[in-house]
Amino acid sequence: MPTLVSVFDLPSHTAAAVRKLKDRGFDDLTTYSPAPFTDVEIAEDPKPSKVRRFTLVGGLSGVTLGFLMQIWMSLEWPIKIAGKNYASIPPFWIVGFELTILLGGFFTLFGLLIVGGLYPKRLDKHYSPRFSAEEFGVVVNCEERDVAEVEALLRAESAKEVTLADS
Amino acid sequence: MAPPATAVADSLASPDRPRDSRANIDIMAPTKGVQWPYFLALGAAVLGVLQALIVLLYQTYVGLGVAGYQQPVFWGVYIVTFVFWIGIGHAGTLISAILFLFRAKWRNAVNRGAEALTVFAVITAALFPILHLGRIWKLYFLIPYPNQRALWVNFKSPLLWDVFAISTYASISIVFFYIGLIPDIAIARDRATGVKKAVYTVLALGWQGTGPQWKAHSRSVLHLSGLATPLVLSVHSVVSWDFAMSIVPGWHATIFAPYFVAGAVFGGFAMVVNIMIPVRRIFRLERYLTDYHFENMSRFILLTSTICGYAYAAEYFIAWYSGVEFEQSSFWLRAFGPYWLSTWCMITFNVIFPQLLWIKKLRTNLPFLFGLCFFINLGMWFERYVIIITSLSREYISGSWGLYVISPVELSILAGSFCWFSMWFLLFLKVFPVIAITEVKELEIHARDHGGAH
Repeated sequence: MPTLVSVFDLPSHTAAAVRKLKDRGFDDLTTYSPAPFTDVEIAEDPKPSKVRRFTLVGGLSGVTLGFLMQIWMSLEWPIKIAGKNYASIPPFWIVGFELTILLGGFFTLFGLLIVGGLYPKRLDKHYSPRFSAEEFGVVVNCEERDVAEVEALLRAESAKEVTLADS
Repeated sequence: MAPPATAVADSLASPDRPRDSRANIDIMAPTKGVQWPYFLALGAAVLGVLQALIVLLYQTYVGLGVAGYQQPVFWGVYIVTFVFWIGIGHAGTLISAILFLFRAKWRNAVNRGAEALTVFAVITAALFPILHLGRIWKLYFLIPYPNQRALWVNFKSPLLWDVFAISTYASISIVFFYIGLIPDIAIARDRATGVKKAVYTVLALGWQGTGPQWKAHSRSVLHLSGLATPLVLSVHSVVSWDFAMSIVPGWHATIFAPYFVAGAVFGGFAMVVNIMIPVRRIFRLERYLTDYHFENMSRFILLTSTICGYAYAAEYFIAWYSGVEFEQSSFWLRAFGPYWLSTWCMITFNVIFPQLLWIKKLRTNLPFLFGLCFFINLGMWFERYVIIITSLSREYISGSWGLYVISPVELSILAGSFCWFSMWFLLFLKVFPVIAITEVKELEIHARDHGGAH
């Protein structure tokens, strides 16, 4: 299947090109961006990131674990302090809160690694260091018969370079 | 259709088409090579750490008596310095998390340096409770772990809350710092060779800046900011409760939590300014760290200094208004007792000097700002010294009053802590970009895309 590698200067042009490609049914594409631009991200995939679920699960696990741990440990080794209950809830909010944040943060990191597919690996064949400089890349896989249309579409959206490569 | 696809990759190195961005070149410059003064500074920092390590071994062998710990003061310079360093970290989190949530774009140039400062300040601070233990090998007693004696830690103790608060703060700061670094490490990876490239490749975790990666990254930073914002407010509050939960005169005050948080942000910003001014000058980053950034930080310093001034005044007012003679004499002794000099240094450096920042010209006068922030840091250390030492040395029973004098061992370890912090920061400068390159580019490209300057 042929692959077209295009290079853009501006995020608005990149986003416009991606939207047009998707409208025409060319869904097998990847964008490369030197900085975060919401327009480009939404054009490629409008669904919200799944990282939020990781954060929620982490935070809830943290608060639950925090309280259960303190209550269980206080009852397991009962010492009367200042006439308070063994399992006295108000002071437990501190550690409960800290564990909410701690696990919420760790799960967010795991979410980023899993959702973003981040692990030491070989870079994509068509990734270029230009895309970590100032340029944007759109790599499209298409059928042989669609090459001309995709190229025209990319150039119409101000792609400054379009090159053909076999994947 | 020509040229072939490989030309896309090759063109980066093509001499007639220099493709690298100016931000990459300027900001990555310190990681490519540094001058001999850098190694001199790093060597001095390492030596400072080594001398403190030798002194620590001596203290561990002989006991905490050599650290000036004697009746009635058992919380000395180590606890003072612990609170100082924890406070220093707060500006970093405020810049990265709270200003991110407020969409303050000016933070982009200073957030990386400030985040690094947070991480190194927290790992410096975390050493002090350990040094303060004396029997440092019993450190693990602080952690709730299953043991044969079926003993658990006391969750009603503010000291234990502190263990959780500090370890959470250190962990989240490191996670936040690393997540922010990933795209910039990828930039370094793409331009490095040899061993450096291999290390950056592992650390960059295959980052390529694809749409899903940026989306997950932006969302993670947003969530971590949401988590870090209440965390940073809680950490110094919990530290303040180490004191406020007791009944020691001068400590038992409900104002302590907001007072400590404002003081922490104040001291933290002063440290950020103290570090970023020489970094900007030495590494020629004037294009990215402009007067505008320093003016904004000056405004924060002015605001938090005023809050601190209010807190100092409120403490005296509450002591007087309470009618409790122990409180009243405690505050009288702060100003006119044996530690009067520390108190007046604290008030002068933290409240009076920063009022000069009402003058706009001084807010962008970097030599002045550097000097002012040095004195603020000194003043913030004295603030903690005043709170801890004056209260402990003169509690309720006059028969047990005493005079605390800083020991050479404490001074040596105090100096070692600054060297330890500097050592990490200098290493960071050599390995990672001190300004968040992708965030700078985001502003620059956005401005170009919309035909204006940011």
